[in-house]
Amino acid sequence: MIKVLFFGAAADRAGTRETELEVEDGATLAEIWPLLAGRHPDLGPMRDTLAFAVNGEYARGEDAVSPGDEVAVLPPVSGG
Amino acid sequence: MFAIVEGPIDVGALISEAQRPDCGAIATFVGTTRIDESEGASVEHLEYEAYRPMADRKLEEIGTEIGERWDVGHVCIVHRLGRVDPGEPSVAIVVASARRGPAFEASRYAIERIKEVVPIWKREVWSDGYVWVGSQVGTRGRGGFESGQV
Repeated sequence: MIKVLFFGAAADRAGTRETELEVEDGATLAEIWPLLAGRHPDLGPMRDTLAFAVNGEYARGEDAVSPGDEVAVLPPVSGG
Repeated sequence: MFAIVEGPIDVGALISEAQRPDCGAIATFVGTTRIDESEGASVEHLEYEAYRPMADRKLEEIGTEIGERWDVGHVCIVHRLGRVDPGEPSVAIVVASARRGPAFEASRYAIERIKEVVPIWKREVWSDGYVWVGSQVGTRGRGGFESGQV
């Protein structure tokens, strides 16, 4: 099980700020995405704008996750 | 100092803390809430949220990057979360250096990097709905897109 956090516009589109997901050990972010988009269909159109973090550091689609990891779905940042 | 706060930023205090006998320049950048207007509506305030503690760590990394690029005596970055009303500071950057060049350049670098890598998001709360800046997702002009519950 991994924890998935949504922020900003992604939280709006997901309709939640946090969810849990059952994934196979070693699944990549790219493999997890269809599960998230399937559960939260309004997220799908945002895909190309999103970045991801695993355990608090930016990660890429080919990066793998393990049970217990925290994955964050990050829309384009807009601080300042 | 690198901090994310949920209340007002005391810019004057941050500048005072930057005063050092070996520095002849203090450059300060303050980002404030601006009232934009369009289509008969206007921004009423901004609301910020962050992914913590990643955002805190990214602010510190910007400080490290500045230290690697410029000879500065003091770097302070404070970003506010939550509601920020018009004219109020949402971010303050204070850099002190021996001479003015590094202070100017490093403070500009800090705000540009914040806008690139620090996981903080703002939404504009307008008189007729809201918009997440950068994503253009929200309730303005969407005919009541029901997404404001989170």
